[in-house]
Amino acid sequence: MNGRQRIEARAGYLLLIPSFIGVGVFLLLPVVIVVVLSLTRYNLISPPEWFGLQNYAYILGWDRFRNSLLVTAAFTAITIPVSIAIGLLLAVAINRRLPGTSWLRVLYVLPWVCAPLALGVVWRWILDPTNGALNALLGRRIEWLADVDLALPAVAFVQIWSTVGYISLFFLAGLQQIPVSVYEAAELDGAGAARTLWSITLPLLRPTMFFVTVTSIISSFQVFDSIYAMTGGGPRFSTDVIASRIYDEAFVALRLGRAAAMAVVLFVVLVAITLVQQRYFRRRITYDMS
Amino acid sequence: MSTTNPVPTTSRRSSAPRSARAARLVANVLTYGFLLAGAVLMVAPFVFSVMTSLKTSRQFNTSSPLATPEPATVENYVSLFGERYDFVVPIAVTAQVVLVLVLGQMLTSILAAYAFAQLDFPGRDAIFWVYVSTLMIPAVVTIIPLYSMMTELGLKNSFAGLVVPFMFGSPYAIFLLRENFRSTPSDVLDAARIDGAGVLRRLWQIMVPMNKPILATLLLITVVSQWNNFMWPLVIAPRPEWHVITVATAALQTQYNGNWTLVMAATTIALAPLVILFLVFQKQITSSLGVTGVR
Repeated sequence: MNGRQRIEARAGYLLLIPSFIGVGVFLLLPVVIVVVLSLTRYNLISPPEWFGLQNYAYILGWDRFRNSLLVTAAFTAITIPVSIAIGLLLAVAINRRLPGTSWLRVLYVLPWVCAPLALGVVWRWILDPTNGALNALLGRRIEWLADVDLALPAVAFVQIWSTVGYISLFFLAGLQQIPVSVYEAAELDGAGAARTLWSITLPLLRPTMFFVTVTSIISSFQVFDSIYAMTGGGPRFSTDVIASRIYDEAFVALRLGRAAAMAVVLFVVLVAITLVQQRYFRRRITYDMS
Repeated sequence: MSTTNPVPTTSRRSSAPRSARAARLVANVLTYGFLLAGAVLMVAPFVFSVMTSLKTSRQFNTSSPLATPEPATVENYVSLFGERYDFVVPIAVTAQVVLVLVLGQMLTSILAAYAFAQLDFPGRDAIFWVYVSTLMIPAVVTIIPLYSMMTELGLKNSFAGLVVPFMFGSPYAIFLLRENFRSTPSDVLDAARIDGAGVLRRLWQIMVPMNKPILATLLLITVVSQWNNFMWPLVIAPRPEWHVITVATAALQTQYNGNWTLVMAATTIALAPLVILFLVFQKQITSSLGVTGVR
């Protein structure tokens, strides 16, 4: 290591200090603390008392927690494939660059820049059975958010509505990075539109697909604001996603130890999903754009 | 793109078969239809909620929810800023929180991304891997320990409680910036280094100017996500004097449940600044997400 390299190395560490406070103290340390808290009984008033694995034993047998895992899984399973499919379609449609369409994409992204909480409140009104816009439009009285069978699809729809535009931006960016020469070569070889989409566009979009899928799963597992505004987890826990359950246990019921145990389980599930997904994608992206 | 073209010649576009032209026409019509339907579906909730906020409760209760307000009234907005519910406080608190978090996050993320992208030091890739892996940590996992940390420090219901845990950079911003900083042509940086430019000078005079588009995008994304933040402020600052705008909106909905004209005025206030911000700066966000440097 020569002098210049040593200076650069020192500069590198120095530049990382501020962000290391953010990552170390406010992200990694909390993970350690949440694991410790999950082994205690803690109600904010008296100090945490050692509880061993009893929180875990309790929640794993607890219907309400299992219900929340299922609700979250169902919510994710509905929203992600649909919003990726529509987002991709939107991107392909915008990327055709038909006259007069370029400004439209601004509108698709609009919900994404808005507070999910405020949008949730807006949709709660739209879906209101008596005074809501949707039932007025349909001329029927449907209890969108109060019906046990309709509430989850309804909140999933709102999630899809608010994320497709954002997702399409990433696909659009990915599409625009594909060199025109690739398409010209395909055309010369006589590949049709469908074949081009399947054999060129989609494989070349795989890094984008990976990025979008991972970030979507992460945000889908954390969905809270819009559901808090629309249903608060009800009716009869049919939209009680994991974040709602953790929030309720921790900050309404003041059982922080039990809530921490649920948070740890969520974290483990999420890490497992990410690792499996990474493996799957790594096996399949083996080209180099450069 | 022609779908049937057996003879690859340069003049093929003008002599494309009729079926191909018909196919393109159908595709164009479908594209327009799809994009327009999407646009209507996206905008309608905003239009209807603003319309509702401009009605009196009497108008709202006696006509269809879809009817236009006649006459339009600002009485809901007046009462939000009046004695009934002081919405000035949440707007001021939110603005200050956003300002501090945006400055803090941008600065620390730029420094970190630059270190990861262009400097060479032992353990760099391992540290970066740790940073990236923290992207997997959901906010809901850290909220309980952060809450107990901040409460122990006596920062519940305080400005510091709202901002401190999030002002030191975000792994997402660092990840995004590092990807862009890496694709900045190294010959420019090398030339500057040979000319004697130090690490920080190369960052501020070359890296930052050359990456303005992605920095603008990141700035916008950070403003948006912080303005919209809800769960953390709800938990750490539940007292009305520290309500941010999302918490105030939620509280209002609970308090005046069913009074949709008033509630829609609140959501309009919560949404309008970002909608305007986005409409003004939409070019930055719509065009810059894809710009990951010259390849």
